[in-house]
Parts: sequence; C-alpha cells; structure tokens
Amino acid sequence: MGNEGFYQEFEVFSQRTDTSPLQYQFSLLAPNRELALVMAQENFMRREAVADIWVVKRSDIRKLTPEEKQSLQRLDNKEYRTTKGYGYLKKKWRHYEQEMLDEKEILSWGGVKKGE
Amino acid sequence: MSEALFYQEMTEEEKYEQFMKRINTGEKIEADDWMPEDYRMTLIKLISMHGISEIMGALPEKEWVPKAPSLKRKLGIMAKVQDEMGHGQLLLRVAEDLMKPLGKTREDIMQDLFSGKLKFHNVFHMEAPTWGDAGLIGWLVDGAAIITQTNMLNASYGPYARALKRICAEEVFHAQHGEAIIMALAEGTDEQRAMVQDAVNRWWEALLMFFGPGDASTTGTSKQDTTIKYKIRTKTNEDLRQDFFTKYIPRVLSLGLTLPDETMHFDQERELWIYKQPDWNRFKDIIKNNGPKSQERLGLRRTAYDTNKWVREALNTAN
Amino acid sequence: MNEPAGNIPIDSKIKPALTSLLYQLADDDFILAYRGSEWLGLAPHIEEDVAFSSISQDTMGHAAMFYQLLSNLGEGNVDSLAHAREASERQNAVLLELVNGPGHYLSSAQYDWAFAVVRNYFYSQAKKIRLDSLKNSSYQPLAEVALKVNMELYYHLLHWKTWVIQLMQAGGEARTRMEAAIGKVLADFEGVLNLGPLAKEMAEHDLVEKEEVLKQRWLFIMKPVFESVNLSVSEADIAMKNGNGRIGEHTADLDDALSTLSEVYSINPAASW
Ligand SMILES: [Fe+2]
Ligand SMILES: [Fe+2]
Repeated sequence: MGNEGFYQEFEVFSQRTDTSPLQYQFSLLAPNRELALVMAQENFMRREAVADIWVVKRSDIRKLTPEEKQSLQRLDNKEYRTTKGYGYLKKKWRHYEQEMLDEKEILSWGGVKKGE
Repeated sequence: MSEALFYQEMTEEEKYEQFMKRINTGEKIEADDWMPEDYRMTLIKLISMHGISEIMGALPEKEWVPKAPSLKRKLGIMAKVQDEMGHGQLLLRVAEDLMKPLGKTREDIMQDLFSGKLKFHNVFHMEAPTWGDAGLIGWLVDGAAIITQTNMLNASYGPYARALKRICAEEVFHAQHGEAIIMALAEGTDEQRAMVQDAVNRWWEALLMFFGPGDASTTGTSKQDTTIKYKIRTKTNEDLRQDFFTKYIPRVLSLGLTLPDETMHFDQERELWIYKQPDWNRFKDIIKNNGPKSQERLGLRRTAYDTNKWVREALNTAN
Repeated sequence: MNEPAGNIPIDSKIKPALTSLLYQLADDDFILAYRGSEWLGLAPHIEEDVAFSSISQDTMGHAAMFYQLLSNLGEGNVDSLAHAREASERQNAVLLELVNGPGHYLSSAQYDWAFAVVRNYFYSQAKKIRLDSLKNSSYQPLAEVALKVNMELYYHLLHWKTWVIQLMQAGGEARTRMEAAIGKVLADFEGVLNLGPLAKEMAEHDLVEKEEVLKQRWLFIMKPVFESVNLSVSEADIAMKNGNGRIGEHTADLDDALSTLSEVYSINPAASW
C-alpha cells in the first residue's frame, strides 16, 4: 500500500473531554485525511463523548522495530530520580516536628483558596 | 523481550520457541512482530472470514431495516446493522495488516469474496423472510456470535483481541435489541407468536451449524486445534455449542416456544445436551455459496461494489 | 415515543400553518432517512457506510421529534403519522422521495452515489437555514426542538460538503456524474425550498421566516461553494419538475417507499411491535 490509491491507512486518536489525554482509537482506510476525519467519529466513537479528533497518516508515523524495542530497557537503579530515593526525609522531618511534603500533599495544593 | 538476542541472529527454531514462550506467558503478539507462518495464515483465514461475515451478515438484516414496524424499531435495527458494518471495518483492518507482507489489500479481500475463495458464515446464506427472522437474528444468531467471540477476547494476537473487545461491548446492545423484538412478538397476537416460532424452526439447524463441526471426522477438516494451540481461542466447537444450549435453551422454552428437535435434552449424568446433528454435508454445501440466498447476496454485494467503483477511482490519488 | 407533555392550547388561526410546517419538517426528514436506510450496507466504502448510517439515524430521530410535536397537537401517534398516511397526505419535497438509483435495495441495487451526496448536501444546507430560523419560532416547542436538531447538522454538513467538493474536484467521470446529479437535484430543489400554500401565514405568525428570505439565504451560502468548484448555478436552474410535495403531489417512488416502510406495521397497526 503506497502513498497513492483509495485505501490509505490512517490512525485515529481522540480526546474524550477537553482535559483528558489523547487516546488511540483504531485505524481506518480513507483516500485522504479530510475524508478520514469525517468518518472517524462514527466509526469508533458512536456511543461516547468526544472533544477532539486527530487523524494521522500511518506512513507518517515512525515506530520502533522489534529490534529497536530493546533500546527501551533500563536498569532498575535510578531511585535518585524518584521519590523512592528520598524516603529517609520523612524520618528527618519528624525529628523537626514537620510533616513530609509528599506527592499527595503537594498535588493537593492547587486550586482551593483558604476559607473556601 | 527478556532475552537480549537480536532477531536476525536467531534461528527460526529460536524465534519459534520465543514466540511460543511469549504466547504461553500471556504476552500479546502485535502486527509487526515475528510470527510463525502458519500463525499468520491461520489468523488471516479466521479474521478475514470473520470480517467478511459481518459485512455479508448485514444483508439478511438489511431487508428489515426499511421495513421495521415503528420509528423506534427502525432506528434500533439501523444502529444494529450499522454496528455489523462497523465490526466488518474493525476486523478487516486487522486482517489487512496481517496480509500486508503478502502484498494484499481490501481490494483483494473483496475479490476473494466474489470469486468464492473467501467464505462467510453459514447463517448469512439463509433466508430471513419475516420480521420474526429479524428479531431472531438479533437474539440467537448474535447470541451464538457472542459465545464464539467472547471465547477469543484473550486471543494471543493483540489487534484481534482489541477489536473483539470493541465488538463484544456492542454485541450486548445487539442481544438486547433482538430480545426486545422477540419479546414484543412473543407477548403479542397469535400471528406475532407464530412469526417467532416459524423463525426458530427455520433457524435452528443453521444455529447448530454456526459453531462448526465437532471434529474433523464430521467434515474432513477442522482448524480448531491450530487456533487452540496458538491461544487464539480456548474452547472447542462442541464446547461452544454446549455453552449456547445452556444459555439459550431455557430462555427459548420460557417464552413458550418449542425447538424443532424432539431428541433435545440435557443428560444430567454426562452434563451434556443431547441433540440431533445437523446435516453437515448441507453445511459444506452452504458455505460453498450454495445456500438459499448465497448467490443473491453475493450478487447484491458485487453490484454495489462495481456500481461505486467510479467513486474509489475518482479519489484514488487525491491527497 | 413520549406521550404529549403539557399540551399548549394553540390558536385555531395558527394551527393549519403550524401543522403544515411540522408535517413538512417531519416528512422531509423521514423520507430522506428512509432512502438513507436503503443505502445501508451498499455505500462505496465500508467506513463511509458506517458514517452515512449515523446521519440517516440522526435524520430519522429528527423526524420522530417533529412527529412528536404533531402528536402533541392531537394529530395521532408518531408511528401512525410515520407509517399509516397515504402518499397524498404527505408533505415532503418530491426530491427527497426519489429512489437512490436503479434496482431494488435487496437485489441489483445500482445506487447513484453522486445523487446521494448532492441531494444530502443541498438538503442539509437548506435544513440548517430553516432550523436557524425556527430557533426563533413563535411556537416555543418548535423553537426548542430546532435548537436540538441544529446541533447535529454541523456534522451532516461537514460530511456531505467534503464528499461533494472532493468528487467535484476529481474531474473526469466523477465530474460528469456529479454535474448530472446537481442538475437532477436542482430540477426539484424548489420543492425543498417551498413552504407550501400556507407559507404566508407561517411568516405572519412568526412561525418561520419568509420562504423567499430562506431561499436567498441558501443561494447566498451556496454561491461561494459553487464558485470554489467552478460551477455556475443560477436561480433559474432551481425548479419543481416532478411536482409540489407540499400540496400532496408525489411520484410513484413514494408509493413504493410507503408500501415497503409500512409492510410490517400494516400487518396489525394496533399490535405492539
Ligand atoms: Fe457483529
Ligand atoms: Fe452483532
């Protein structure tokens, strides 16, 4: 299947709401991207909410080959990069009678103003 | 991918061994992964037949789309048949990706259908002469399809498993759509009740055939061993047929309907439904496109495909 | 479908114009959705088949909403309105009842995709203009329905316009077929734009704007589209060749459609299906 012909392959992605991440749906055949776009929702999202749709021509996607997938492997020695490597702070702060500012605490800071 | 061996350095046997290890540990195979040739060919045969059966399966129900007896039923059956076309879309996409290394496309699938090389399910060769048949297809043919399709939800081939997940979610609607039509008829006038009973009588043998022969001794060939070995499915044809009986026979009988098989009963000791075998020679003949509606439906599909050829040609190189 | 919810007493002077308008809206959508349902499974491309069917379902859903408004006015239940009326009682535009092409939907259907995309695009645009006007209708229940129906028209228009423009620009055989289809659609498009013998009353009671205003709006919106594909269309091309459906004039195509679509319903209209 080359770059010509009626049956071009498109990959369809969609967002359920404005705040949700783009999600892969499925692939479809279409002669060009305009038609791919007008067929996408009804083929894959007939019964769900959609806030946005992307269609991407498959030939424009660079994927990993099975061999290249081996380049994804990493050693499990990178605690310094995660909070796991800093867990000892909890005990330290307790000594100073302070709470640990962990992920749960920090991510709760957004939004709500005092007194609300 | 625990072995850090490069594929090109592996012998065929090593690749095969690694492949079997992957599927036996529940890993999913993807379109670009190495796979044994007979795995690919089995999948192509299975999925292209499944896909084209959805497309051909739209035709017996299509008859009842414009004729459905109320606005609600017209909308319901339109949505149902649309889904079946959509299932064809999903499955053909999966089959097309598998065929890609062989240089084949959707065009080849359609031509194989027209030439008789690509077969479609026996049930879709049958007549659907009344609105009762429209209900029965949704209820029992989709019911049978749900039994076989859910059996493959964990198929080792990832793209097929994902397509089936979408399909089975929609089948739940199909089953209820069929039940709603049947229920209205079963609770309706004598004429309406007779419509359902006639449809049951008409479809019973085809429903038994739907699951395929019990073993190769019946029709000479059976792909079920290969599909089980490769973890595409888990149960045999007979297991599935028995599951269908268990789920549906009590429901059929509860509506006061009868089955056109006096021998049908559940053997408590062997925990098996005993039934009259369908005519498997007729089955072979039907799927060779010699069923009552085979030629008419293939003709309709071919005419539509050829009539619209100009559209596909016009947009052939548009970009 | 729902039972009448709080019938609003309607001025007997307004009622004839209002019911006629509602019959036109309902019958237009119903018969075109029926033609769309015959296409199911036969479109040029599987993905398109699925998309087209959604539009047919939407359109039949709109018809059901308009029939419900009629039902609320005491015109009968929605299923008898859709299935049991004679051709001469139907007020749909003739263009929308015409067959999809030669052949029957179960065998030998040689449906014309050019006619399908042109008829649907031109109609969707006219429907959009009419609904935009109906959003301000003095009959509140209709204004509310118009607001809802309008939501789904953006997609219908985008879909059909994409097809029409691409096939027009493709040249060759496609262009020839498309021009023939446009000719055929325009020859009966006056029947779509027409609001029937009570059009004046409809406007006087602020049910909908004047027929001529809506027509000019359609021409105004379509003009740049025609220009973009190098097509000259003038107002004079718009005619009513096969009769005025608004006064119950119809073709044999509608009789055939009605006998098919009511085949099961007619076995026993009183039964529950
Ligand atoms: Fe299906
Ligand atoms: Fe189904």
